Amino acid sequence: MSLQVAAVPAEQRPSRLERVADAALTMGPVVLPLVLWELAAWMGWINTFLFPSPSRIAATLWTQSGPDGNPPWGIPLHVARSLTRLLAGMAIAIALGTLVGVVIGMTRWGRFIFRPLISALMPVPTLAWTPVLLLAVGIDDRATIIVVAIAASFEIIYTIVAGLEMMNVRVFWVAQSMGATPVQIFWRVILPGVLPYLITGVRLGTGYAWRALIAAEMLAASSYGLGFMIFDASEYMSMDVIYGGVVLIAVLGYLLENVLIGRLEAATIDKWGVRVEA
Amino acid sequence: MASSEARVQDATAQTGGVGGGSTRLVALRSFAEFLLPIVVLLLLWEAGVRTGLIDPTILPAPSMIVGRAWVLLDPSHPERSLLLTHIAASLWRALVAFAIACGVAIPLGFALGLSPIAYRSASPLLSLLLPLPAVAWTPIFLVGFGQGDTTIISVCFLGAVFPVLYATIRGVQSISPHSLWVVRSMGARRSDIFVRVLLPGCLPALISGLKLGMAHSWRTLVAAEMLAALSRGLGYMIFAARAYMDVSTMFVGIACLAVIGMLVEHGLFGPLESATVRKWYGVSRVGGAR
Repeated sequence: MSLQVAAVPAEQRPSRLERVADAALTMGPVVLPLVLWELAAWMGWINTFLFPSPSRIAATLWTQSGPDGNPPWGIPLHVARSLTRLLAGMAIAIALGTLVGVVIGMTRWGRFIFRPLISALMPVPTLAWTPVLLLAVGIDDRATIIVVAIAASFEIIYTIVAGLEMMNVRVFWVAQSMGATPVQIFWRVILPGVLPYLITGVRLGTGYAWRALIAAEMLAASSYGLGFMIFDASEYMSMDVIYGGVVLIAVLGYLLENVLIGRLEAATIDKWGVRVEA
Repeated sequence: MASSEARVQDATAQTGGVGGGSTRLVALRSFAEFLLPIVVLLLLWEAGVRTGLIDPTILPAPSMIVGRAWVLLDPSHPERSLLLTHIAASLWRALVAFAIACGVAIPLGFALGLSPIAYRSASPLLSLLLPLPAVAWTPIFLVGFGQGDTTIISVCFLGAVFPVLYATIRGVQSISPHSLWVVRSMGARRSDIFVRVLLPGCLPALISGLKLGMAHSWRTLVAAEMLAALSRGLGYMIFAARAYMDVSTMFVGIACLAVIGMLVEHGLFGPLESATVRKWYGVSRVGGAR
């Protein structure tokens, strides 16, 4: 590449122009509608009650994030509460999912017992559990956390089982013939072996869990949480808060799934050279 | 996906049984083995409630749930059956949303898949919208349309449209330009190219996208109905039962949601798949619905 540029320096100039066109093509479709929306709101072409201008949404997000919001520091608190719930639910899902996945992948009785149960439970839409959980544990964080755990576990179980199926049986024979105990095999052979798959499962599971969390918060959260924030705002018809919350939900979901865990996944692919087909 | 694994298991059991005895018997046996853990769990659950280990106001016994379902179904007056009314309302909403989503996503997907410029300019917007849960739109539609079918169908539409759109784009992009050039150089008309090359070429991806879209529509429906339904629908039935602490009705709703979801996947898309993709390409399995 650099050699080519050195040989044909004249090609550098169009490539810079191309880069500008590239950036325009990438940013344009996002920025242009926003500009048009802002303009339409200013000129009174659209109903500003239903479609408040982007600048007003940004202003609302700013005031709600500060001490003058209602409640004060509202948005950081909502985000923190949602992320805490997501983290707690994912921790449960990872622990439970790994355990069940390993039992299914490694033992005959595990396959025999859990496969049918999972195929019976998986078609149930996750959020349908919310009212039952609300009655069982009451309106508090536990209901939303359990919904998150349910939403993420199936994906994690599936990737763990797929990872174990890909592992070489000889690795177990070697470990066994060297006299490793089942506990040692679990910690030294199975866990490192399925780790790359587990991370892929966690990434996909986090995507499902985030969606489920927002919906569960709308149904079940008594206070705080992004889902609660936008649903509460719809009762007061404050459209700017709703739009701001929707933008935050989209951005956070994207960052969580693609940037945070995506980076982790890329790092494991670099280290172990395993690419998981999902 | 787990159920498709079970199908694969059945298939291997059948081929293995050719030498060993009656294939039918082997298939039946593996089906019984499949059901055994579920039956055992249900029996344990029933026994737990009967002996008082489980509180029936939180987790009613399976027999109580079946009894409740029978009352709700009211088989002597099928036209006034409460459960059937809820199911019909839910199915209607999910199917309308799915149909609109297909009507929007398939043409758009073809346009974006065929034109690289359009794809490049739309993809940042799409990757922003994709991670957004469809349910998050509910408050906006609630303010705009109020409670009712319009809001629910709009939310389900947003749940279904993205899987179908992505699958169509991927399917169209996976067709090699060579096959297009070949057909064009032989003088094929545009309509021929569409029917003979583009459509069959993207069909495997498209059908798995449709399957996923319908599954998303059905899963989103429950949440949307809980938040925005006025008086009918399975999601409404489950959520309204909360006010009366009627857990049996909730479990009836949950079971209906799961069974109908599975029936749609296997009863509607299974035959569609075997009639098209498997017949033409010999592909045994195309994607999984989640």
